[in-house]
Amino acid sequence: MTLLRGAQQKFNVRVRELPQEKVAELAAAEGITISGMRPENAKLTWYVSRLGDPVAWRVRGYFGLKLPLVVTGLAGVVAGWLGGLFYLTYPAWWALGFYWLFGGFGIRSLGLSFALVPVGVALLYAGSWLTHNVTEGDRWLMRGLLGPRTSEERVRALRESRARAVDDSAARLRTIERDLHDGTQAQLVALAMKLGLAMEKLADAGSVDARPVDLVRVTQLVGDAHRGVLEAIGDLRTLARGIHPPVLDKGLTEALTVLAERSAVPVELVTDIQERPSDAIETIAYFSAAELLTNVAKHSGARHATLEAVHVPGLLRIRVTDDGTGGARPVASGGLRGLAERIRTVDGRLEIDSPHGGPTTVTVELPSHA
Amino acid sequence: MRIIIAEDAAVIRAGLTEILTDRGHDIVAAVGDAVALRAAVAEHKPDFAIVDVRMPPDHTDEGLRAAIAIRRGNPEIGILVFSQYVETRYAADLLSMRSGGVGYLLKDRVANVAEFTDAIARIAAGGTVLDPEVVTGLLAASRHTDTLGTLTAREHDVLALMAEGRSNSAIAEHLHVSERAVEKHISNIFSKLGLPPSDSDHRRVLAVLAYLRT
Repeated sequence: MTLLRGAQQKFNVRVRELPQEKVAELAAAEGITISGMRPENAKLTWYVSRLGDPVAWRVRGYFGLKLPLVVTGLAGVVAGWLGGLFYLTYPAWWALGFYWLFGGFGIRSLGLSFALVPVGVALLYAGSWLTHNVTEGDRWLMRGLLGPRTSEERVRALRESRARAVDDSAARLRTIERDLHDGTQAQLVALAMKLGLAMEKLADAGSVDARPVDLVRVTQLVGDAHRGVLEAIGDLRTLARGIHPPVLDKGLTEALTVLAERSAVPVELVTDIQERPSDAIETIAYFSAAELLTNVAKHSGARHATLEAVHVPGLLRIRVTDDGTGGARPVASGGLRGLAERIRTVDGRLEIDSPHGGPTTVTVELPSHA
Repeated sequence: MRIIIAEDAAVIRAGLTEILTDRGHDIVAAVGDAVALRAAVAEHKPDFAIVDVRMPPDHTDEGLRAAIAIRRGNPEIGILVFSQYVETRYAADLLSMRSGGVGYLLKDRVANVAEFTDAIARIAAGGTVLDPEVVTGLLAASRHTDTLGTLTAREHDVLALMAEGRSNSAIAEHLHVSERAVEKHISNIFSKLGLPPSDSDHRRVLAVLAYLRT
């Protein structure tokens, strides 16, 4: 409800589903004086709203157009099928004396009556053709007028995409939780045990027994604990990198350069990224490239690979080509499948061209912004 | 004692082994899942078993169920169950056995070597052990806030220690009072909560647990 402030103009504003007091309140807040409020005629409102409803118009249109279609269809059935059947068996009718049905054409002999048989065939053929087209026409009308609109299709597709994105992030959070619990937490508990034991041994020194401290043992325990801490730090670093690689902060080009350098198979890097896509897209692109390069190194047996990253307005394309043995397929729980899922959550595309014997080209296309 | 350890995280398994070996125990087997645990118990007939609640393959409560099964089949084996989170249901299931010699601790408690080895000693001696954190949680979450509010501070402490499975002498030592004072507090507590007096330490843990959980 947009009202001009302080204007001395008269507006007929239709405000539905708000009680009168609320309307007065809102108007007062905008600084407008209401000179009069008239409750609309409920029935009139209903009719008027029906007149404006696009779905209702489509239904009316459908039924309106269906009428001539039905009439045509009926004519087709009567003339074509019935007439056709009649003329097909005309000699029999003539013999029985019913030659006046459907216009007898003044046939006076049984022999001539056979001349009308092909007419029957033609009519049958025409009838079936007409019926088929009428039904097709009806189907076309239904799809066009009554079927889901492209916008509804789009909404459905978006809902699916969102559900996938939500599932994807929930699954990744669970993985992180498991990694933290089984990895880091277990390591820290083990560390606490070692240090606790070491502390006990050191405390023994001050006890009534005054036994000599087993320094060898304590040193070993503390040394083990130290090693454990370093390992835990390393694991956490890897985990964090799996969530968001710090190198991405410098930009996708830089991050891909590092990936290419680290690859076991020599990788030629070709990048053309003038403008940075959004963070989420960069992350997906980075992990896609990482996964694809890992696959090249592990499975393809290639001697050389190319990593292309091109960003044109609206589209980011990552392409990995290798001269290996090919035959790459997305396996049910494999990395490629997970990659495809992540790409789909942002409406991207994954294309795999990997004939047996190679070479393999995998292309990932992502929008610039999720 | 001859001990079997069942824990799926290798580092913790190793740490437990180290601590217990240091205390002079003999670790006859260290396994990583419930199936292997049952097999190991059948094979080695240990004096004690330390079991993690959550283990492969399902990572739900197969450790606990194995522990309960072992308890039923071999009541002379002391059992200590570890849990990552406070699950009073597990505690109740485990403790609802006829006698003592059973315990439920949070995994963090392992990091405190003294408390951990003390718990093992108490269980081996036939006592019952319930993690203090579990008890605190139960007391806080109990619906009987009014009745619990009628307890004095001292009685509250005694109730908590009793729920942890400690004996009268242990409670007396912990609170620096005489054993007679502890006995008096306990009978007051039981009458205030409306519970019948218990004949064994284990029974009273069960009674308090049942009371707090309803």
